[in-house]
Amino acid sequence: MNCDESRLLLDAYADGELDLVRHIELEAHLKACPTCLRRSEAIAARRIRIRDSLPRFPASQELRGRIHASLRAEARGAARQGPLPFPVAWRRWNLAGLAASVTVALLAGYSWGSHHARSTSLADEAFAGHMRSLQASHLTDVTSTDRHTVKPWFAGKLDFSPPVVDLADLGFPLVGGRLDQIDGHTAAALVFRRRLHAINVFVWPARGAISPPRSATESGFSAQGWTHGGLNFLAVSEIPAAELEQFAGEFRKRTE
Amino acid sequence: MEASVPTETSTFEQLMLPHLDSAYNLSRWLLRDPHDAEDAVQDACLRAFRAFGGFRGADGRAWFLTIVRNVCYSHLRQGKRESLKVAFEEDLHGSPEDSGEANAQSWLEVKGELLRQALERLPPEYREVIVLHDVEGLSYREIAGVAEIPLGTVMSRLARGRGKLQAELASLSQNTSP
Ligand SMILES: [Zn+2]
Repeated sequence: MNCDESRLLLDAYADGELDLVRHIELEAHLKACPTCLRRSEAIAARRIRIRDSLPRFPASQELRGRIHASLRAEARGAARQGPLPFPVAWRRWNLAGLAASVTVALLAGYSWGSHHARSTSLADEAFAGHMRSLQASHLTDVTSTDRHTVKPWFAGKLDFSPPVVDLADLGFPLVGGRLDQIDGHTAAALVFRRRLHAINVFVWPARGAISPPRSATESGFSAQGWTHGGLNFLAVSEIPAAELEQFAGEFRKRTE
Repeated sequence: MEASVPTETSTFEQLMLPHLDSAYNLSRWLLRDPHDAEDAVQDACLRAFRAFGGFRGADGRAWFLTIVRNVCYSHLRQGKRESLKVAFEEDLHGSPEDSGEANAQSWLEVKGELLRQALERLPPEYREVIVLHDVEGLSYREIAGVAEIPLGTVMSRLARGRGKLQAELASLSQNTSP
């Protein structure tokens, strides 16, 4: 190991995060190199100082109270099965305006209707549908990792046949499907999983021309929409936008 | 459904609210404003609660912090237009900022308030790994999960972030003690 390699590892070494092989190699270098040893001591001292001096901000009692109350209100709202408001609970952030602009960006390429008001309600529906689905017992009506089980389940329940793909090899295993509502249509909702998170893909008949893929991010949620084979697809999840884009790209590839 | 709701709520509160301090601390450091931080945590709590039925993992803190982090980043992107790109910085071949320049002794004399100001000046990507590791005590692997970046990126970001912190601190110290 030379000094350049050594420098890159000193923080991880101080943190006790080096793997055994590199740990041993680095210690051998430090025994032989006074420059790196001095640097290592400075980094260890820096680490301790950072740990001891940076404040940790605890949540206030007021915030705890607010959260407790909002969870109770949310639970009561969900029990009534009402559509979930979106966005929620911002006192000061102007998300209403933001939601509208995101929605326009998302839907501008679609021929779902040229009126912004209609587009807004559509994206809100998709986000709300995603969140509703994440509540216990709402995620799937048919639970299976096998697309040959999920696809036939929709037959007879819909006047179209949603393509069901298997993306488990890419880290997006199929979880199942259910019926949902979007844009006044009964839609197929295909449910996939990414690590601990769920991805909902809403599928319903398209009116009008094929559009280029569109994406949007909204306060922790992302959406990817596209149209193919006379069907609209809208994927929604809380996973990072780049991953959802990858997911949507692969989904498209396997249905085209 | 009616009967299950209170159970669901209290299960959620039992599993997630112990991590509320961690959530607020991360949010406070990322957004640098107590009111924005509270709003973000409250929003993240509701999102986590709605997504809770889909939570199957063992690590509730990492899951919750991921949601908090995503909400905070949305706010940063939309509001303050902070640069979220750490272009070229991830490259392990680059040299960390003068890690060896300050000796061990001078670090022990650094004042906490200056350190706080210095950290607030760093781009959020660096701030978050330092906060998650040095304040919250998360391991590199846990940070990789929360920030959804590779382990090697956690390592280089943390080393580079501390180097940047040191550089900011030096410039702050110069300004305050002429
Ligand atoms: Zn050396």
